[in-house]
Amino acid sequence: MEKAINRQKILLHHLNPSSSTHPNESSSLHASACVAGDSAAYQRTSTFGDDVVIVAAYRTAHCKAKRGGFKDTLPDDLLAPVLKAVIEKTNVNPSEVGDIVVGSVLAPGAQRASECRMAAFYAGFPETVPVRTVNRQCSSGLQAVADVAAAIRAGFYDIGIGAGLESMTTNPMGWDGSVNPKVKMFEQAQNCLLPMGITSENVAQRFGVSRKEQDQAAVESHRRAAAATAAGKFKDEIVPVTTKIVDPKTGEEKSVTISVDDGIRPGTTVSDLGRLKPVFKKDGSTTAGNSSQVTDGASAVLLMKRSVALQKGLPILGVFRTFAAVGVDPAIMGVGPAAAIPVAVKAAGLELDDIDLFEINEAFASQFVYCRNKLGLDPEKINVNGGAMAIGHPLGSTGARCVATLLHEMKKRGRDCRFGVISMCIGTGMGAAAVFESGDCADELCNARKVDDLLLSKDARLK
Amino acid sequence: MPIFKTPFNGYSVKFSPFYENRLAVATAQNFGILGNGRLHVLDLSPEPSLPISELVAYDTADGIYDVAWSESHDSIVIAAVADGSVKLYDLALPPTSNPIRSFQEHTREVHSADYNPVRRDSFLSSSWDDTVKLWTLDRPTSVRTFKEHAYCVYSAVWNPRHADVFASASGDCTLRVWDVREPGSTMILPAHEFEILACDWNKYDECVIATASVDKSVKVWDVRNYRVPLCVLNGHGYAVRKVKFSPHVRNLMVSCSYDMTVCVWDFMVEDALVSRYDHHTEFAVGVDMSVLVEGLMASTGWDELVYVWQHGTDPRAP
Repeated sequence: MEKAINRQKILLHHLNPSSSTHPNESSSLHASACVAGDSAAYQRTSTFGDDVVIVAAYRTAHCKAKRGGFKDTLPDDLLAPVLKAVIEKTNVNPSEVGDIVVGSVLAPGAQRASECRMAAFYAGFPETVPVRTVNRQCSSGLQAVADVAAAIRAGFYDIGIGAGLESMTTNPMGWDGSVNPKVKMFEQAQNCLLPMGITSENVAQRFGVSRKEQDQAAVESHRRAAAATAAGKFKDEIVPVTTKIVDPKTGEEKSVTISVDDGIRPGTTVSDLGRLKPVFKKDGSTTAGNSSQVTDGASAVLLMKRSVALQKGLPILGVFRTFAAVGVDPAIMGVGPAAAIPVAVKAAGLELDDIDLFEINEAFASQFVYCRNKLGLDPEKINVNGGAMAIGHPLGSTGARCVATLLHEMKKRGRDCRFGVISMCIGTGMGAAAVFESGDCADELCNARKVDDLLLSKDARLK
Repeated sequence: MPIFKTPFNGYSVKFSPFYENRLAVATAQNFGILGNGRLHVLDLSPEPSLPISELVAYDTADGIYDVAWSESHDSIVIAAVADGSVKLYDLALPPTSNPIRSFQEHTREVHSADYNPVRRDSFLSSSWDDTVKLWTLDRPTSVRTFKEHAYCVYSAVWNPRHADVFASASGDCTLRVWDVREPGSTMILPAHEFEILACDWNKYDECVIATASVDKSVKVWDVRNYRVPLCVLNGHGYAVRKVKFSPHVRNLMVSCSYDMTVCVWDFMVEDALVSRYDHHTEFAVGVDMSVLVEGLMASTGWDELVYVWQHGTDPRAP
């Protein structure tokens, strides 16, 4: 068997991905992008090596708030392992990192910023590497990744980390202080105060998403997440975290290593969920079972300019293509992905049919089902390894967690999977979405969608 | 056009120098990574629309990576076997008498074999043990071993006019030119930045040689001025696995690649790519041009198919 492994290794060297963009290959033939044509997006032009690529993406296991494996873990101890992982596994010199941007929602802003800075020191980053936080509610982790990509593209630095952190054990959802009486004069402002579950009920009622559909979506999420865990699919992306569990009765501390999500319920059935009472509204349809879980977790994504990745010899996991954030009615904030995804996909010069995989946050089953149906997406392409109803939704981390999950799944699927989309709805009425492309394994020409008509431009089509 | 389905994945195909309708195919099970191999000798029907028939087939305990016809005996075929052996088969003898000889000197996979077309008394084998060995039919051990390469030697090819000169292509990114009468290589050509998977001499100009590489390009060199290539042929989307000069036209050459295509080039023309054949549905790893019939080509790939077609026609046409 060792002989077979050696042969495979030698033959795989013939398919050396770095040869496609060797800097000395000045005489290479390159497919040139025709910016006037509809196929421009499919012709990746990496000649200049200046696009933004992802070379590593990791997350912690996701555990139930207050009751799960991270209930006694402090937030900075949650973030440090994933920051350490992106550096250690890629062997990048931490001092070369231009910025660390952490998405986080619930903790007081100044305190959370300090905790993230402290976590960077735990992870081995020198004081010269700056750290900041970003809060765009449930999309903060994705916003962090987008902010780093934008900064690299702008030339502020070449290497950056977009991360996410949330400990809903330490900082549960809530509202501090009183409400400005002025909100009564503005309906949309008042709707920003609606509990998230009420917005889920609004989506279900307004768009006719039945209780049964919601429960089915939740069951499917748990089933897929359990199957993915059993198949070991999450091993590539989860960084084991050694932490402590305190016995609530005796106060005794025990050291544990957390490496598996603990919110997944493999045995869940539609009839089980059918017995749960609606939480937010009498005769409603949103229950604890078909909502995302309140969770502790962290994640981190290492981005850099392509030319830097090639110079360091790092395999390219994915390419950051576009990001879009859009506003929607706060009363039905859950429809955000349905508004944001088309914008991001169009900005990338693609169409929905070109997207091979989706990670759409399952804040609530109602909004997830609505967005899926509204966009006409194939369920076999969405959250193929389960979603937030099973894995959990640590608000500030989910965006970066989805990057890790999406890119690792795209890598496993190989050439059959070229474009992926991540999206989430955002409290107070927004949606965010980003388009990613698979790494170097994508064939420059063969995976392009065949243009049906030979017309140069969409404008030329007669309709 | 004739097509033949092999049970194992194809690795190499060669036309016989004696019969225009005969060719040999080297195949290996499980893409040559693990399992058995088989050598097929096929006969083309005089009518192109009729199927290819199999004259004989020989099984080996490990995959066969290359095949070469003898230039001195019309019925002798040489197989380069992945277990490090070089086996001789005589089609005139019954299967129980074959292989008539098995040379077991290479310590790793043998990747190519080539028979001397001028002297016709010897052949070369190149191996992943970083060596090239020289053999004759009547001696039980190799005549000589050439040891300068630092990585797998993927190809060793005799010069078509000088009986003692050959070139070897290696994963150490160099092409070496040897004279068997000299103790060491006479020329070292750092032809590519990446592994070189194949090389071939021009049939009309003994100073011209082509190299094919993992960097997706084919380069044509003049050994009298080896600092810069005569030309660089780009167009393959993945590593180029084999390259061959035409026996009939000086400037024509053919290549096959992991991008599943076979390309024909005229290296003296600025737009060098003459035609591209995309009939294979897996890596195209073997290609040959017939010496006896001008324009007749054969290719094989990991899709377990052997195609034979006339240049300019569709290999898949019935």
